[in-house]
Amino acid sequence: MSSNGNNHLQSAMDSNDDGIEDMDFSHGDHFEEEDLAMGASSKDSGFDSVIGHIEDIIMEESFQSTQNGFLEKYYTEFEDTEENKFCYTDIHKEYISLIETYLDSELKKRIPDFSMPEFSKQLQERRKELEGEIFEILLTFSDFMAFKEMLLDYKADKEGKTIDLSGGLTVMPVQEKLSLDGDSPFCVSGKSLHGP
Amino acid sequence: MGLLTILKKMKQKEKEVRLLMLGLDNAGKTTILKKFNGEDIDTISPTLGFNIKTLEHRGFKLNIWDVGGQKSLRSYWRNYFESTDALIWVVDSADRMRLNDCKKELHALLVEERLAGATLLVFANKQDLPGSLTAKEIREALDLDSIKTHHWLIQDCSAVTGDNLLNGMDWVVNDIASRIFTMD
Ligand SMILES: Nc1nc2c(ncn2[C@@H]2O[C@H](COP(=O)(O)OP(=O)(O)OP(=O)(O)O)[C@@H](O)[C@H]2O)c(=O)[nH]1
Ligand SMILES: [Mg+2]
Repeated sequence: MSSNGNNHLQSAMDSNDDGIEDMDFSHGDHFEEEDLAMGASSKDSGFDSVIGHIEDIIMEESFQSTQNGFLEKYYTEFEDTEENKFCYTDIHKEYISLIETYLDSELKKRIPDFSMPEFSKQLQERRKELEGEIFEILLTFSDFMAFKEMLLDYKADKEGKTIDLSGGLTVMPVQEKLSLDGDSPFCVSGKSLHGP
Repeated sequence: MGLLTILKKMKQKEKEVRLLMLGLDNAGKTTILKKFNGEDIDTISPTLGFNIKTLEHRGFKLNIWDVGGQKSLRSYWRNYFESTDALIWVVDSADRMRLNDCKKELHALLVEERLAGATLLVFANKQDLPGSLTAKEIREALDLDSIKTHHWLIQDCSAVTGDNLLNGMDWVVNDIASRIFTMD
């Protein structure tokens, strides 16, 4: 086949050449109850309340400090180069497991009969309607490129460089000191928040 | 299974596929990746870790993982098997000396449980080099006809000219798509 075919492939791919997954936000940049409502019937309320709890959990200071502790421990391993080191993969696995364990134990504290298998069944049933920031944020936790970017942002912040917010969704804590005054230290930034 | 893992698995069922590109060092994996992405291919150094690119192709989002192939790095390959939809095995068709090594490494991957469901594309790369073996010769040297466990195809190509890279990708995407749709 001709090299034209390959050019076609390239141009089809040009729109996404930063290696970062586009995040499709359908809502604004605040956590609002109505953004996350999945439906009005009463059997939805259990599901919605779990979602509400997850939102609360990740906005709380104790989650932030857990995450900050992790970033603080590992940010020096990361370098702003395109190629990734093998150790990033282990660090990311550790991060996913930290967040999962944290969410699971917090949910069990708040909802005594919480069952992850049951909740995951509900998620499956609703996969077509899962929209909103909370799901994007949860997916970001397990997305490698977003994870790498979070570490690099943290590192740049630590080392006093300007932070480039143009790369898509970043879930990023601001400096730890700020988290003491009651404001949420959690900041969600990215161009896709503003839509096309 | 934790929440994040569940959500991630759900997302992967959408039109998003994970392609793992492996092969001996110097085969041309990173060159292929960059060529796909329309990047400069003149200054590529041997990969000591791994690269990732996310590309759109025919309505699919392709997450391509390219892991370094030097002998000392091959033990890390296993960390990237999980959830792989297709294995892209890249061969330097001019490297006759290491064909046996190449065959052994490939067949060792094919018995890996976590790659059991994966489609296999073999790129017989560097066809632009004089003296490179043909796809048919590579097919015999790697004993591809003995593979009964995976859907496979060998495609001759050149990462430098870009020839036939798209053919290979088309086949991979088609094969994955037909597999996923018949499973549903
Ligand atoms: N002539 C020719 N040279 C190629 C082709 N593909 C790759 N090369 C060259 O082969 C060398 C190795 O290419 P890489 O892409 O770095 O190989 P790799 O498989 O990523 O190697 P590792 O990262 O060590 O695993 C480079 O000098 C490339 O320019 C090709 O199709 N034709
Ligand atoms: Mg390489």
